[in-house]
Amino acid sequence: MSTPARRRLMRDFKRLQEDPPTGVSGAPTDNNIMIWNAVIFGPHDTPFEDGTFKLTIEFTEEYPNKPPTVRFVSKMFHPNVYADGGICLDILQNRWSPTYDVSAILTSIQSLLSDPNPNSPANSMAAQLYKENRREYEKRVKACVEQSFVD
Amino acid sequence: MESNASQDELIIQQHREIEREISDTIKLIGEKENLSTLKNEYINDPVYQKKILDLCNKYENIRRTRPDGNCFFRAFGFAYLEHLLDKKDQYERFRELAEKSKDQLIALRFPKFTLEDFHDVFMEVVNAVGEGGEERMSELYRMFNEQGYSDYVVVYLRLIASAHLQEKAEFYQNFIEGNRTVIDFCHQEVEPMYKESDHIHIIALSSALDVGIRVRYMDRGDGSEVIAHDFPEGTAPRVHLLYRPGHYDILYEKNPSS
Repeated sequence: MSTPARRRLMRDFKRLQEDPPTGVSGAPTDNNIMIWNAVIFGPHDTPFEDGTFKLTIEFTEEYPNKPPTVRFVSKMFHPNVYADGGICLDILQNRWSPTYDVSAILTSIQSLLSDPNPNSPANSMAAQLYKENRREYEKRVKACVEQSFVD
Repeated sequence: MESNASQDELIIQQHREIEREISDTIKLIGEKENLSTLKNEYINDPVYQKKILDLCNKYENIRRTRPDGNCFFRAFGFAYLEHLLDKKDQYERFRELAEKSKDQLIALRFPKFTLEDFHDVFMEVVNAVGEGGEERMSELYRMFNEQGYSDYVVVYLRLIASAHLQEKAEFYQNFIEGNRTVIDFCHQEVEPMYKESDHIHIIALSSALDVGIRVRYMDRGDGSEVIAHDFPEGTAPRVHLLYRPGHYDILYEKNPSS
Protein backbone atom coordinates (compact mmCIF):
# COMPACT_ATOMS: atom_id res chain seq x y z
CA MET A 1 0.00 0.00 0.00
CA SER A 2 1.29 3.45 -0.81
CA THR A 3 1.21 5.84 2.11
CA PRO A 4 2.71 9.34 2.30
CA ALA A 5 5.69 7.96 4.24
CA ARG A 6 6.36 5.18 1.71
CA ARG A 7 5.97 7.53 -1.24
CA ARG A 8 8.40 9.94 0.28
CA LEU A 9 10.91 7.14 1.06
CA MET A 10 10.82 6.04 -2.58
CA ARG A 11 11.67 9.60 -3.53
CA ASP A 12 14.47 9.73 -0.95
CA PHE A 13 15.91 6.50 -2.33
CA LYS A 14 15.73 7.72 -5.90
CA ARG A 15 17.54 10.90 -4.97
CA LEU A 16 20.22 9.01 -3.05
CA GLN A 17 20.90 6.92 -6.15
CA GLU A 18 20.83 9.76 -8.64
CA ASP A 19 22.72 12.30 -6.60
CA PRO A 20 24.72 10.41 -3.97
CA PRO A 21 26.62 12.53 -1.43
CA THR A 22 30.28 11.60 -0.98
CA GLY A 23 31.07 9.10 1.70
CA VAL A 24 27.61 7.83 2.52
CA SER A 25 25.26 5.25 1.07
CA GLY A 26 21.95 3.76 2.02
CA ALA A 27 19.14 1.57 0.73
CA PRO A 28 15.91 0.02 1.97
CA THR A 29 16.12 -3.59 3.11
CA ASP A 30 14.87 -6.18 0.63
CA ASN A 31 11.37 -6.61 1.90
CA ASN A 32 10.66 -3.50 3.92
CA ILE A 33 10.99 0.07 2.73
CA MET A 34 10.51 1.29 6.31
CA ILE A 35 13.86 -0.18 7.41
CA TRP A 36 17.07 0.90 5.72
CA ASN A 37 20.68 -0.12 5.94
CA ALA A 38 23.27 2.58 5.52
CA VAL A 39 27.02 3.01 5.54
CA ILE A 40 29.04 6.05 6.47
CA PHE A 41 32.70 6.15 5.50
CA GLY A 42 34.92 7.78 8.07
CA PRO A 43 35.72 11.34 6.92
CA HIS A 44 39.29 12.11 5.77
CA ASP A 45 41.63 13.81 8.20
CA THR A 46 39.73 12.50 11.21
CA PRO A 47 40.54 9.47 13.37
CA PHE A 48 37.51 7.80 11.74
CA GLU A 49 39.24 7.83 8.32
CA ASP A 50 39.06 4.52 6.42
CA GLY A 51 36.32 3.14 8.68
CA THR A 52 33.11 1.80 7.13
CA PHE A 53 30.41 2.24 9.72
CA LYS A 54 27.10 0.49 9.32
CA LEU A 55 23.81 1.94 10.51
CA THR A 56 20.13 1.07 10.48
CA ILE A 57 17.43 3.64 9.92
CA GLU A 58 13.89 2.84 11.03
CA PHE A 59 11.03 4.95 9.76
CA THR A 60 7.44 5.10 10.95
CA GLU A 61 4.35 6.04 8.97
CA GLU A 62 4.78 9.51 10.48
CA TYR A 63 7.88 10.17 8.38
CA PRO A 64 8.70 12.89 7.32
CA ASN A 65 6.70 14.60 10.07
CA LYS A 66 8.78 12.79 12.62
CA PRO A 67 12.42 11.77 12.34
CA PRO A 68 13.45 8.13 11.91
CA THR A 69 15.39 6.21 14.55
CA VAL A 70 19.00 5.93 13.47
CA ARG A 71 21.49 3.62 15.14
CA PHE A 72 25.04 2.57 14.49
CA VAL A 73 25.32 -1.19 14.13
CA SER A 74 29.10 -1.01 13.99
CA LYS A 75 30.77 -0.48 17.31
CA MET A 76 31.47 3.22 17.80
CA PHE A 77 33.55 5.29 20.15
CA HIS A 78 32.24 8.83 19.85
CA PRO A 79 31.07 11.47 22.38
CA ASN A 80 27.56 11.59 20.87
CA VAL A 81 26.91 7.90 20.29
CA TYR A 82 25.33 5.77 23.04
CA ALA A 83 26.55 2.29 23.93
CA ASP A 84 23.60 0.77 22.03
CA GLY A 85 24.47 2.73 18.88
CA GLY A 86 21.81 5.42 19.38
CA ILE A 87 22.85 8.87 18.22
CA CYS A 88 22.49 12.14 20.09
CA LEU A 89 22.07 14.67 17.30
CA ASP A 90 19.74 17.67 17.43
CA ILE A 91 18.31 17.26 13.93
CA LEU A 92 17.20 13.74 14.88
CA GLN A 93 15.42 15.13 17.93
CA ASN A 94 14.15 18.64 18.62
CA ARG A 95 15.46 20.30 15.47
CA TRP A 96 13.98 17.82 13.06
CA SER A 97 12.41 19.38 9.98
CA PRO A 98 10.29 17.50 7.44
CA THR A 99 12.52 19.05 4.78
CA TYR A 100 15.37 16.72 5.75
CA ASP A 101 15.67 13.53 3.73
CA VAL A 102 17.82 10.42 4.13
CA SER A 103 20.65 12.08 2.27
CA ALA A 104 20.61 15.04 4.70
CA ILE A 105 20.44 12.73 7.72
CA LEU A 106 23.47 10.69 6.64
CA THR A 107 25.59 13.72 5.78
CA SER A 108 24.73 15.29 9.15
CA ILE A 109 25.87 12.16 10.97
CA GLN A 110 28.98 12.12 8.84
CA SER A 111 29.85 15.64 9.92
CA LEU A 112 29.11 14.72 13.53
CA LEU A 113 32.00 12.24 13.23
CA SER A 114 34.32 15.09 12.25
CA ASP A 115 32.92 17.55 14.78
CA PRO A 116 31.76 15.86 17.97
CA ASN A 117 29.86 17.92 20.49
CA PRO A 118 31.47 16.98 23.83
CA ASN A 119 29.07 19.25 25.72
CA SER A 120 26.10 16.96 25.25
CA PRO A 121 27.75 13.59 25.72
CA ALA A 122 26.08 10.24 25.13
CA ASN A 123 29.37 8.52 25.92
CA SER A 124 30.97 10.40 28.79
CA MET A 125 34.27 8.53 28.53
CA ALA A 126 34.60 9.45 24.86
CA ALA A 127 33.66 13.06 25.64
CA GLN A 128 36.21 13.31 28.41
CA LEU A 129 39.03 11.80 26.37
CA TYR A 130 38.11 13.98 23.41
CA LYS A 131 38.51 17.06 25.58
CA GLU A 132 41.43 16.03 27.78
CA ASN A 133 43.43 13.28 26.13
CA ARG A 134 43.10 13.48 22.37
CA ARG A 135 45.76 10.80 21.79
CA GLU A 136 43.93 8.21 23.81
CA TYR A 137 40.65 9.25 22.15
CA GLU A 138 42.13 8.69 18.72
CA LYS A 139 43.53 5.34 19.76
CA ARG A 140 40.11 4.16 20.91
CA VAL A 141 38.50 5.44 17.71
CA LYS A 142 41.11 3.68 15.56
CA ALA A 143 40.22 0.42 17.30
CA CYS A 144 36.61 0.92 16.10
CA VAL A 145 37.87 1.68 12.60
CA GLU A 146 39.71 -1.63 12.53
CA GLN A 147 36.74 -3.44 14.02
CA SER A 148 34.59 -1.98 11.23
CA PHE A 149 36.57 -3.93 8.59
CA VAL A 150 35.72 -7.19 10.31
CA ASP A 151 31.98 -6.63 10.91
CA MET B 1 23.27 6.56 30.57
CA GLU B 2 21.44 3.34 29.76
CA SER B 3 18.73 3.95 32.33
CA ASN B 4 18.31 7.52 31.08
CA ALA B 5 17.74 6.25 27.59
CA SER B 6 15.14 3.72 28.67
CA GLN B 7 13.42 6.37 30.82
CA ASP B 8 13.23 8.55 27.72
CA GLU B 9 11.76 5.69 25.75
CA LEU B 10 9.05 5.16 28.38
CA ILE B 11 8.07 8.81 28.21
CA ILE B 12 8.05 8.72 24.42
CA GLN B 13 5.86 5.62 24.50
CA GLN B 14 3.40 7.30 26.85
CA HIS B 15 3.27 10.33 24.55
CA ARG B 16 2.54 8.05 21.61
CA GLU B 17 -0.39 6.48 23.43
CA ILE B 18 -1.93 9.85 24.24
CA GLU B 19 -1.45 10.97 20.65
CA ARG B 20 -3.09 7.81 19.36
CA GLU B 21 -6.08 8.29 21.60
CA ILE B 22 -6.54 11.84 20.33
CA SER B 23 -6.16 10.86 16.69
CA ASP B 24 -8.65 8.03 17.08
CA THR B 25 -11.35 10.28 18.51
CA ILE B 26 -10.95 13.76 16.97
CA LYS B 27 -10.92 14.45 13.22
CA LEU B 28 -8.18 16.64 11.80
CA ILE B 29 -10.90 19.08 10.74
CA GLY B 30 -14.39 18.53 12.11
CA GLU B 31 -17.86 19.31 10.76
CA LYS B 32 -19.38 22.73 11.22
CA GLU B 33 -21.25 22.79 14.54
CA ASN B 34 -23.59 25.27 16.13
CA LEU B 35 -21.67 27.45 18.55
CA SER B 36 -24.13 26.67 21.32
CA THR B 37 -22.44 23.26 21.57
CA LEU B 38 -19.76 25.02 23.62
CA LYS B 39 -22.29 25.77 26.38
CA ASN B 40 -22.52 22.09 27.24
CA GLU B 41 -18.78 21.85 27.64
CA TYR B 42 -18.67 24.44 30.40
CA ILE B 43 -21.98 23.80 32.05
CA ASN B 44 -20.74 24.47 35.59
CA ASP B 45 -18.44 27.28 34.71
CA PRO B 46 -19.93 30.77 35.13
CA VAL B 47 -16.89 32.58 33.71
CA TYR B 48 -16.92 30.62 30.47
CA GLN B 49 -20.72 30.69 30.26
CA LYS B 50 -20.64 34.49 30.11
CA LYS B 51 -17.97 34.48 27.49
CA ILE B 52 -19.75 31.93 25.34
CA LEU B 53 -22.83 34.14 25.45
CA ASP B 54 -20.74 37.03 24.16
CA LEU B 55 -19.25 34.81 21.46
CA CYS B 56 -22.71 33.62 20.40
CA ASN B 57 -23.72 37.23 19.68
CA LYS B 58 -21.00 37.52 17.09
CA TYR B 59 -20.53 34.03 15.72
CA GLU B 60 -22.81 31.31 14.41
CA ASN B 61 -20.66 28.20 14.07
CA ILE B 62 -17.52 26.50 15.20
CA ARG B 63 -15.40 23.87 13.46
CA ARG B 64 -13.14 21.90 15.74
CA THR B 65 -9.62 20.83 14.85
CA ARG B 66 -7.48 18.06 16.26
CA PRO B 67 -5.31 19.25 19.16
CA ASP B 68 -2.03 17.86 17.87
CA GLY B 69 0.13 20.98 18.07
CA ASN B 70 -0.57 21.75 14.42
CA CYS B 71 -4.05 23.15 15.05
CA PHE B 72 -3.25 26.79 14.29
CA PHE B 73 -1.70 26.04 10.91
CA ARG B 74 -4.31 23.45 9.98
CA ALA B 75 -7.23 25.61 11.12
CA PHE B 76 -5.89 28.59 9.22
CA GLY B 77 -5.22 26.57 6.05
CA PHE B 78 -8.69 25.11 5.97
CA ALA B 79 -10.56 28.27 6.99
CA TYR B 80 -8.77 30.48 4.49
CA LEU B 81 -9.19 28.10 1.55
CA GLU B 82 -12.84 27.69 2.49
CA HIS B 83 -13.18 31.48 2.56
CA LEU B 84 -11.69 31.63 -0.95
CA LEU B 85 -14.18 29.14 -2.43
CA ASP B 86 -16.48 31.93 -3.64
CA LYS B 87 -14.02 34.82 -3.93
CA LYS B 88 -12.41 34.67 -7.32
CA ASP B 89 -10.15 37.74 -7.00
CA GLN B 90 -8.78 36.90 -3.59
CA TYR B 91 -8.31 33.33 -4.74
CA GLU B 92 -6.28 34.34 -7.81
CA ARG B 93 -4.06 36.60 -5.73
CA PHE B 94 -3.41 33.81 -3.26
CA ARG B 95 -2.79 31.19 -5.93
CA GLU B 96 -0.16 33.37 -7.55
CA LEU B 97 1.52 34.11 -4.23
CA ALA B 98 1.53 30.40 -3.35
CA GLU B 99 2.97 29.51 -6.75
CA LYS B 100 5.80 32.01 -6.39
CA SER B 101 6.59 31.14 -2.79
CA LYS B 102 8.58 28.09 -3.88
CA ASP B 103 11.38 30.10 -5.48
CA GLN B 104 11.41 32.42 -2.52
CA LEU B 105 11.96 29.49 -0.17
CA ILE B 106 14.62 27.96 -2.37
CA ALA B 107 16.41 31.31 -2.40
CA LEU B 108 16.46 31.11 1.40
CA ARG B 109 18.28 27.79 1.03
CA PHE B 110 15.51 25.43 2.01
CA PRO B 111 16.44 22.08 0.41
CA LYS B 112 15.01 22.15 -3.11
CA PHE B 113 14.36 18.45 -3.46
CA THR B 114 12.08 18.04 -0.45
CA LEU B 115 10.61 21.52 -0.73
CA GLU B 116 9.27 20.73 -4.19
CA ASP B 117 7.45 17.73 -2.81
CA PHE B 118 5.64 19.83 -0.21
CA HIS B 119 4.96 22.62 -2.68
CA ASP B 120 3.47 20.22 -5.25
CA VAL B 121 1.00 18.82 -2.72
CA PHE B 122 0.20 22.30 -1.38
CA MET B 123 -0.60 23.53 -4.90
CA GLU B 124 -2.70 20.45 -5.55
CA VAL B 125 -4.90 21.44 -2.63
CA VAL B 126 -4.94 25.13 -3.63
CA ASN B 127 -5.85 24.20 -7.20
CA ALA B 128 -8.65 21.93 -6.02
CA VAL B 129 -10.26 25.03 -4.49
CA GLY B 130 -10.08 26.94 -7.79
CA GLU B 131 -11.20 24.22 -10.18
CA GLY B 132 -14.39 22.24 -10.27
CA GLY B 133 -17.88 23.07 -9.17
CA GLU B 134 -20.23 22.14 -6.39
CA GLU B 135 -18.07 19.38 -5.00
CA ARG B 136 -15.14 21.69 -4.17
CA MET B 137 -16.19 22.13 -0.55
CA SER B 138 -16.45 18.41 0.10
CA GLU B 139 -13.17 17.88 -1.74
CA LEU B 140 -11.46 20.45 0.50
CA TYR B 141 -12.92 18.77 3.57
CA ARG B 142 -11.79 15.36 2.34
CA MET B 143 -8.23 16.52 1.62
CA PHE B 144 -7.88 18.20 5.00
CA ASN B 145 -8.92 15.00 6.72
CA GLU B 146 -6.53 12.87 4.74
CA GLN B 147 -3.27 12.86 6.67
CA GLY B 148 -1.08 12.87 3.58
CA TYR B 149 -2.53 16.08 2.16
CA SER B 150 -3.39 17.75 5.42
CA ASP B 151 0.03 17.39 7.01
CA TYR B 152 1.84 18.48 3.87
CA VAL B 153 -0.24 21.66 3.86
CA VAL B 154 0.73 22.24 7.49
CA VAL B 155 4.41 21.62 6.72
CA TYR B 156 4.33 24.08 3.84
CA LEU B 157 2.59 26.79 5.87
CA ARG B 158 5.18 26.29 8.59
CA LEU B 159 7.95 26.77 6.03
CA ILE B 160 6.32 29.97 4.76
CA ALA B 161 6.13 31.31 8.33
CA SER B 162 9.74 30.30 8.96
CA ALA B 163 10.90 31.98 5.74
CA HIS B 164 9.14 35.20 6.71
CA LEU B 165 10.77 35.23 10.16
CA GLN B 166 14.18 34.63 8.59
CA GLU B 167 13.75 37.35 5.98
CA LYS B 168 12.86 39.86 8.69
CA ALA B 169 15.18 38.37 11.30
CA GLU B 170 16.42 41.70 12.57
CA PHE B 171 12.90 42.76 13.50
CA TYR B 172 11.69 39.45 14.91
CA GLN B 173 14.81 38.93 17.00
CA ASN B 174 13.29 41.39 19.51
CA PHE B 175 10.38 39.05 20.18
CA ILE B 176 12.37 35.91 20.80
CA GLU B 177 13.02 35.03 24.40
CA GLY B 178 16.17 33.50 25.71
CA ASN B 179 19.43 33.38 23.87
CA ARG B 180 18.09 31.99 20.65
CA THR B 181 18.64 33.40 17.21
CA VAL B 182 15.72 33.66 14.79
CA ILE B 183 17.13 30.71 12.84
CA ASP B 184 17.34 28.59 16.00
CA PHE B 185 13.78 29.54 16.87
CA CYS B 186 12.59 28.56 13.38
CA HIS B 187 14.40 25.23 13.55
CA GLN B 188 13.06 24.41 17.01
CA GLU B 189 9.60 25.96 17.16
CA VAL B 190 8.31 26.73 13.66
CA GLU B 191 9.45 24.08 11.19
CA PRO B 192 9.04 20.90 13.28
CA MET B 193 5.55 19.44 13.13
CA TYR B 194 3.42 19.26 16.29
CA LYS B 195 5.04 22.35 17.81
CA GLU B 196 2.39 24.67 19.17
CA SER B 197 1.94 28.14 17.78
CA ASP B 198 2.31 31.41 19.60
CA HIS B 199 1.67 35.03 18.60
CA ILE B 200 4.87 35.13 16.63
CA HIS B 201 3.82 32.22 14.40
CA ILE B 202 0.50 33.92 13.71
CA ILE B 203 2.09 37.28 12.96
CA ALA B 204 4.61 35.63 10.65
CA LEU B 205 2.10 33.59 8.66
CA SER B 206 -0.52 36.34 8.36
CA SER B 207 2.15 38.85 7.27
CA ALA B 208 3.81 36.48 4.83
CA LEU B 209 0.51 35.71 3.10
CA ASP B 210 -1.01 39.15 3.71
CA VAL B 211 -4.18 37.59 5.08
CA GLY B 212 -5.88 39.03 8.15
CA ILE B 213 -6.57 36.67 11.05
CA ARG B 214 -8.78 37.52 14.02
CA VAL B 215 -8.18 35.40 17.10
CA ARG B 216 -10.79 35.42 19.86
CA TYR B 217 -9.21 34.64 23.19
CA MET B 218 -11.40 32.73 25.58
CA ASP B 219 -9.76 32.32 28.95
CA ARG B 220 -10.38 32.94 32.63
CA GLY B 221 -9.49 36.61 32.39
CA ASP B 222 -11.79 39.28 33.86
CA GLY B 223 -14.84 40.59 32.04
CA SER B 224 -17.55 38.94 30.01
CA GLU B 225 -16.19 39.77 26.59
CA VAL B 226 -14.08 37.47 24.48
CA ILE B 227 -11.16 39.66 23.48
CA ALA B 228 -10.15 39.87 19.83
CA HIS B 229 -6.67 40.31 18.40
CA ASP B 230 -6.17 41.07 14.74
CA PHE B 231 -3.06 39.90 12.92
CA PRO B 232 -1.40 41.79 11.33
CA GLU B 233 -2.78 44.68 13.36
CA GLY B 234 -5.35 46.77 11.54
CA THR B 235 -6.00 44.28 8.72
CA ALA B 236 -9.52 43.17 7.82
CA PRO B 237 -9.88 39.60 9.10
CA ARG B 238 -10.58 36.83 6.57
CA VAL B 239 -10.20 34.00 9.05
CA HIS B 240 -11.60 33.88 12.57
CA LEU B 241 -10.17 31.52 15.14
CA LEU B 242 -11.16 30.71 18.69
CA TYR B 243 -8.29 30.30 21.11
CA ARG B 244 -8.74 28.39 24.31
CA PRO B 245 -5.54 27.84 26.28
CA GLY B 246 -3.38 25.59 24.12
CA HIS B 247 -5.78 25.17 21.22
CA TYR B 248 -7.28 26.84 18.12
CA ASP B 249 -10.63 26.10 16.46
CA ILE B 250 -12.35 27.83 13.52
CA LEU B 251 -15.17 30.34 14.04
CA TYR B 252 -17.83 31.48 11.57
CA GLU B 253 -19.34 34.95 11.84
CA LYS B 254 -23.06 35.61 12.01
CA ASN B 255 -22.92 38.21 9.26
CA PRO B 256 -19.75 37.52 7.36
CA SER B 257 -18.08 40.46 5.67
CA SER B 258 -16.04 39.66 2.59
